[in-house]
Amino acid sequence: MKVQVLEWNAVASWHWDLKVDDSGVADELCGICRVPFDGTCPSCKYPGTDCPLILGDGCTHNFHLHCILKWLEQDTSKGLCPMCRQVFVYKRIKNMGTSEELHNLQVLIEGHKAMRERENEENEFDSFEDDVRMTD
Amino acid sequence: MLRIRQLQKKKQEEAEAAQMAQSHGISPVATNRVNSAHIRLQKDITELDLPRSISVQFPNPADISYFEITIKPESGYYQHGRFRFAVSVNENFPIDPPKIKCLQRIYHPNIDLEGNICLNILREDWSPALNLNSVIIGLNFLFLEPNPTDPLNKTAANVLKKTPEVFRSNVLNSMRGHYVDDGYYDNVLR
Repeated sequence: MKVQVLEWNAVASWHWDLKVDDSGVADELCGICRVPFDGTCPSCKYPGTDCPLILGDGCTHNFHLHCILKWLEQDTSKGLCPMCRQVFVYKRIKNMGTSEELHNLQVLIEGHKAMRERENEENEFDSFEDDVRMTD
Repeated sequence: MLRIRQLQKKKQEEAEAAQMAQSHGISPVATNRVNSAHIRLQKDITELDLPRSISVQFPNPADISYFEITIKPESGYYQHGRFRFAVSVNENFPIDPPKIKCLQRIYHPNIDLEGNICLNILREDWSPALNLNSVIIGLNFLFLEPNPTDPLNKTAANVLKKTPEVFRSNVLNSMRGHYVDDGYYDNVLR
């Protein structure tokens, strides 16, 4: 039997390469918009490199870059991960996100850090004042 | 920090521009922001899994960003009452928490006479990882376990702390629509 190929179509599929956590399952949904990572965040049209993911470093929580940016823009977020409330730190991965977006993320994270440090200083000052009052 | 302020200002200006466009009769452009809140809200509403004691009503089915919930506590001080709340979700959801207000004048340590509610996850502890279900369950919990340590209605909280029996009878009187300490309350037993 002779088969003649008249037409062929190549089909490819892609998937974000997410690290699997200790329990053996990777979270499939963005914790903020609840859309699968392989889809886009609600403000993007096309999934993929235009709507990258940000992987938490320190905690295992991942988000769409645009979603975590929106959250960290809020003063009330205090720079914490929405899922576990630890200070949010991200893994730097090559070719993920535009340099402008990553710059914004870095600025926001540093802003929150500065805010926390200032608060700590104020608290220390308060407790110092309390000490003085105690000894009086 | 400066950068955050700038971003917020930009957002505000955008919102104002959208409002201007609306007031001038220009059809409002459905921005991404509106959509993203809507998509997430729709998910939260379909995922609502509430006990039988809580019901949800949509006064205007075309607008899911405003709805009312009724809580009928099954035990505790507030058993047999029917407490109604208005929930409104803004365009910045889930970055901003939903706004919940009590529609009745009630006697509760964590709810003031204007209906403002003191619940941590509605304010400082809100996170976009929480959903509507979690805040409604949190609200329900306030009726099962009123919390006198973080009060909005300080008088009620002090009574609960010092004399729980008096608090119990005050709650019963207030739920019947009677006066408690010179203040009137709405009848919530109907």
